[in-house]
Amino acid sequence: MSSIIPIVVAIAALAFIALRKTGRLGPPGYRRERDAALMISPAAAPTLRLLPLPGDVGLVAARELRVRVRGRAFRVGTLLVLLIVSGAIVIPALIGSKATAARVGVAGPLSAPVRAAVVADGHAFGGTVDLVAEPGEQAAAADLRAGRIDLAVIDGRRIVTNKPVSASDTSATAQLTRAVASTVGTGEALQAAGLTPAQAAVIAGARALPVSSLQPGRPGTTQRNTSYVGLLVLFFMLTQYNAWTLTGVIEEKSSRIVEVLLAAIPPARLLAGKVLGIGLAAFLQAGLAVAVAVTEARAVHSDALNGLTPLTVAATLTWLVLGYAFYAWVYAAAGSTVDRQEQAQSLLIPLGLPVILGYFVASTAALSGNPSVLVQVLAYLPPTAPFAMPVLVSLGAASWWQFALSAAISVAGTVAVARAAGAVYRASILRTGPRVPFRELLTR
Amino acid sequence: MSRLELDGLTRRYGPVTALDHLSFSVSSGQVTGFLGPNGAGKTTAMRAVFGLTALDSGTVRWNGRPVTLAERRRFGYLPEDRGLYPGMLVGEQLEYLGRLHGLSPAAAAAAAAGWLDRLGVAGRAGDKVESLSLGNQQRVQLASALVHNPDLLILDEPLSGLDPAGIDTVGETLAAHAHAGKCVLFSSHQLDLVEDLCESVVIIDQGQVVTSGTVDDLTTRGRPRLVVRVAGDRDGAWARSLAGVTVSENDGGALRLVLDPPADPQSVLRAAFTAGPVEEFAVRRRRLSEVFREAVAHGGSGRRQATRSETGAAR
Repeated sequence: MSSIIPIVVAIAALAFIALRKTGRLGPPGYRRERDAALMISPAAAPTLRLLPLPGDVGLVAARELRVRVRGRAFRVGTLLVLLIVSGAIVIPALIGSKATAARVGVAGPLSAPVRAAVVADGHAFGGTVDLVAEPGEQAAAADLRAGRIDLAVIDGRRIVTNKPVSASDTSATAQLTRAVASTVGTGEALQAAGLTPAQAAVIAGARALPVSSLQPGRPGTTQRNTSYVGLLVLFFMLTQYNAWTLTGVIEEKSSRIVEVLLAAIPPARLLAGKVLGIGLAAFLQAGLAVAVAVTEARAVHSDALNGLTPLTVAATLTWLVLGYAFYAWVYAAAGSTVDRQEQAQSLLIPLGLPVILGYFVASTAALSGNPSVLVQVLAYLPPTAPFAMPVLVSLGAASWWQFALSAAISVAGTVAVARAAGAVYRASILRTGPRVPFRELLTR
Repeated sequence: MSRLELDGLTRRYGPVTALDHLSFSVSSGQVTGFLGPNGAGKTTAMRAVFGLTALDSGTVRWNGRPVTLAERRRFGYLPEDRGLYPGMLVGEQLEYLGRLHGLSPAAAAAAAAGWLDRLGVAGRAGDKVESLSLGNQQRVQLASALVHNPDLLILDEPLSGLDPAGIDTVGETLAAHAHAGKCVLFSSHQLDLVEDLCESVVIIDQGQVVTSGTVDDLTTRGRPRLVVRVAGDRDGAWARSLAGVTVSENDGGALRLVLDPPADPQSVLRAAFTAGPVEEFAVRRRRLSEVFREAVAHGGSGRRQATRSETGAAR
């Protein structure tokens, strides 16, 4: 079941982007600004001034950011990211909610220290235990059959459940039943031994000591799910931002505004401003997603983020930045070689292949909790590292120097790609007509 | 008094020469027309001023020195394809271009509003460009080239596709800008309009200047031209027998004559009297279209064909 999730998500994301490109989801909505005076007033200027960026690069980036954030693609994309994040957090929490609140019926006397110990058993299993006073064994049995209580303690001597509980049963009810049986038995025995209530309480509160190991253990499902959610968000966002960069460059070329722009600003600075502006819009969206995820996880007491250490969040965000920085140049250069938006289709698929490869390999590792050799290799290649490295981090399979090495390789790769992209962009952005042949770009 | 100089611009696309040591200059204070047949190199030359054409050789100078980026920011350019962001709001777009050309936020906002108002599209500042009519889009495009009050304004075919009212607007705007002491150069194929709008013209063909000067000079220079109408004479047979007289046109008896030595206006008038009652007799200027055809006719047509197709492919 879990292995098809990445495939479904990847197909959905690609279909969404393809539909947007072909315009089947409709053109960007046309909204008339009623108050023209408002527009002309310098009300718009603060956005431009907010960014302390040097000169024209800052201007280009600020325009890009403003247009993106206002556009429909941003709103729809943000909504989708939030849906993915919310779904990943809320749905497991809803499915798993049965185990979180158990009801234990108590018929006959049960001393206060033992009652407290039973409630503490619930906390030990990550849920709560409510004690329900039952007038007698008959009433407790009736409540058990009706499902109003999960188990009953009769006179502090017997535990009754509705269905049999075998030793191998790992359901939440079974685990709680075994724990309560042990707690109550021990508690009553301690009282029978003549201990004071205070002494009994101390012993009843005793719990097994925490065990740690020198070798890292296999991560649990929680951590796997968490790293997969991060991966999903990374994949979706990178795919989306790459498409923005591609279509943004084509928009400028096809409308020929690029001629007006390049008359006033050198190509490298125009390109840098564009990449920066789209990047800022992207991280605004990513920040929103993280904020919503944390808030929601708190609200529904989800355990999806329990495994989410600050380290994992930092790793995911770092690789979102590094991944975007690497791919933005590639997509911008590719966009400059075509004239019309329709031609973007033919570029999106081949350019998306490394992204999809990285995502698939990394998500397999995240869901199985087993970092394969392939993932460990891909974690050092700039095109796939944005997916592979965060997974290694969340699986505890990468040390800090491996992370730093991979990041350094990625930064170096980005610098090289940016240079090549700048050359391709300069050579092809002003040329129209048939698609510029790649060989010709390199020989110029 | 500022001055744009193109000095020896050369640009080759493979075997084809789009610009062939092209040299001319544009002075401030007057509107200069930039003429030439399709494929003559007009667009390539104009793009070269903005650094959009990689030159094989030659220099573009502004006030005697090679153009710097800072100076180029004070230039305005309206490309043939009229670039604007289709989905961006009109007012924001003008402000953005103004700021890219070095205006402060407040100055850009004021200039955008001012130009929209002056060109009669003030109410559309909050609309997307793509929602405007073609005529209004062209007004916004003109505003986009003017928003930073450029020292040099270069427009590629600004009149094409305009209705008469639009042509008047553009003409008045260009004249006002030039007369405010700026340089204005624009290309066009509508020679009669150019004759009305421009004080001087540069005519190029095959990447070279073939003629340039003030419109006054070019139209009065050269052989004398007369229009003569003799009552009852529809064919103008009397004029065809005169030495040095060529009938260039016969508009229902109104003959358009081009004189070469030994003919002169007096001898033609005497000949007309003997042919019958003279109803019309005038010394005429050449039309700019005649100047243009004459200047461009000298080039070899075979080479021009090649140039045209190649620049189309290479652009």
